[in-house]
Amino acid sequence: MSGPALIHVVVSGLATGCIYALVALSLVIVYNATRTVNFAQGEMLMVSAFVAWSAQHTAGLPLLAAVACGVAAGGLLAFLVERAIVRRALSATHWDVLIITLGLSLALRAAAGIVWTNEELPFPALFSNRPVAIGPVRVAPVSLGVIGASLILMLALVALFRATRFGRAMRAVAQNQTAARLMGISVERVYSGAWVLAAVVGGVAGVLIAPVTFLSTKMGLIAINGFTAAVLGGFGSLPGAVAGGMLLGVIENLAPLYLPTGIRYSVPFLVMIGILVARPRGLFGSLERRKV
Amino acid sequence: MRAVAWTLAGAAALGWPLVAPRYFVFLATLVAVNAIVAIGLNLLSGYTNQLSFGHAGFLAIGAYAAAILTLRAPALPVPLTLLAAGLLTALVGLALGIPCLRLDGLYLAMATLAFGFVVTEAITNLDWLTRGNDGLRVPLARLGPWVLDTDRSRYYLALAVAAAMVLAALNVVATRTGRAFLAIRGSEVAAQASGINAAAYKTIAFVLSAFYTGVAGGLFAFAVGFLSPDAFDVFLSVDFLVMIILGGLGSVWGGVAGAAVVTVLNDSLAGFQTYRPLIFGAIMIACMLFAPGGLAAMTRRQS
Repeated sequence: MSGPALIHVVVSGLATGCIYALVALSLVIVYNATRTVNFAQGEMLMVSAFVAWSAQHTAGLPLLAAVACGVAAGGLLAFLVERAIVRRALSATHWDVLIITLGLSLALRAAAGIVWTNEELPFPALFSNRPVAIGPVRVAPVSLGVIGASLILMLALVALFRATRFGRAMRAVAQNQTAARLMGISVERVYSGAWVLAAVVGGVAGVLIAPVTFLSTKMGLIAINGFTAAVLGGFGSLPGAVAGGMLLGVIENLAPLYLPTGIRYSVPFLVMIGILVARPRGLFGSLERRKV
Repeated sequence: MRAVAWTLAGAAALGWPLVAPRYFVFLATLVAVNAIVAIGLNLLSGYTNQLSFGHAGFLAIGAYAAAILTLRAPALPVPLTLLAAGLLTALVGLALGIPCLRLDGLYLAMATLAFGFVVTEAITNLDWLTRGNDGLRVPLARLGPWVLDTDRSRYYLALAVAAAMVLAALNVVATRTGRAFLAIRGSEVAAQASGINAAAYKTIAFVLSAFYTGVAGGLFAFAVGFLSPDAFDVFLSVDFLVMIILGGLGSVWGGVAGAAVVTVLNDSLAGFQTYRPLIFGAIMIACMLFAPGGLAAMTRRQS
């Protein structure tokens, strides 16, 4: 395969990878604050995308405003879910919360099917799909747009975590909840903040991927790829989530080019098992010392 | 009192096919199959704290192994077929369990999730053996001169196997092995410090769990009569986890109860196609809000 064509494939792989990275980030943000995995993250981003679609089609808002509506609705949904359901399960173990979020993902997917539709809907494109030539290389603007938007969001997250009070509180809670509480941080507020922030990041991923994969109740399944990316990078590490997402996106796009049809879909998973066997805590995860 | 309750339960299980319509006999067979999987998964996830999102893969291996073995050797008595399916699946469990020894928590969840995908992909692509996406018609099971061609006969087969598997599991968890599993769940480091070979026991848990699921897979194949790879997707693995968490982690009977609840619920909601996941999801959430720790914890609190 020629160089420029290869670059085209890698760039579209990176674009897919950016989406995975955003989903992975939203999973990791909730995990770091609450030590539980939100298995409904994919369905929450699906709701964001559906609301954005409605805001444009039914309410007639311009596309960007509709997208903002969708992302905000996702944040609101997360706030309500955390307040009304997850926080009530105070005595619950991680296992119980796992079932709660699994139940939530089923319920949200069905509810979206009832409120909107179980069919696939075309979602208006934010970026053009027609490849443009940059020197000898042809890339699709949609790839560059997705990569650019994701990078901006990631930088904003870095700024949030480093420079704001809330970001520092989140990092403190991630490190040691008891100590954070003793320092006067409201851990509950961090919980709900983490859910909202994760939903916003996920919502952006949702409206970025919806034009590519179509809008459907099944789009929440992307959470599986996000989970994979987060685990690959080392669950809990934000740079790891980004790297894991990019790696996964590129592998997925390159594997079909070089491998026979029989095994091409298995390869990302086999690579993953291989990486985990070599590095049991993912690429960026450090081995925790286990204390008794 | 206990003896009376057990006799009644046993009589109900044995008499069920004589009074229930055919479909409900089939449903009870599925409950028995799922109960075996739940017990197996509980040995791994509930007792030894190793989360698996790949048990649908083990079930698929057991089911296809039993079906293909029966196609090639139709005269083989069904207990031997099931045993072979279980042993083959256990072997796969060993092959997966050893490299996964270093993984725990979400990392193990990921590796087993990946395993599940690889299995369905492999079944789809090995179509000379499995007929791929066209699906495989499972021949009838045979036991010497009898052909198990009715739902009733297959129910009794599943019931007998499930009873044996429950007894075996109750014994395993009461012995040294079961205590080692629980010690590893409590704290792997502390268990090792007390002289438990954690690596060996975690592998045993993997192999046992795979064996249970493989046998259940064989029963599943005969019960439904038709196999295709898309029946063994990740949602099935999630259903198994829901069974053991709803039923109660680290409890053999909890697994059985969870399997019964989830199987019957899944089926009774089948009439409401669009609302089914909504209701099912709401029930899952409500259960965990009002009965954290599952059904087993609920009875424990009362007693």
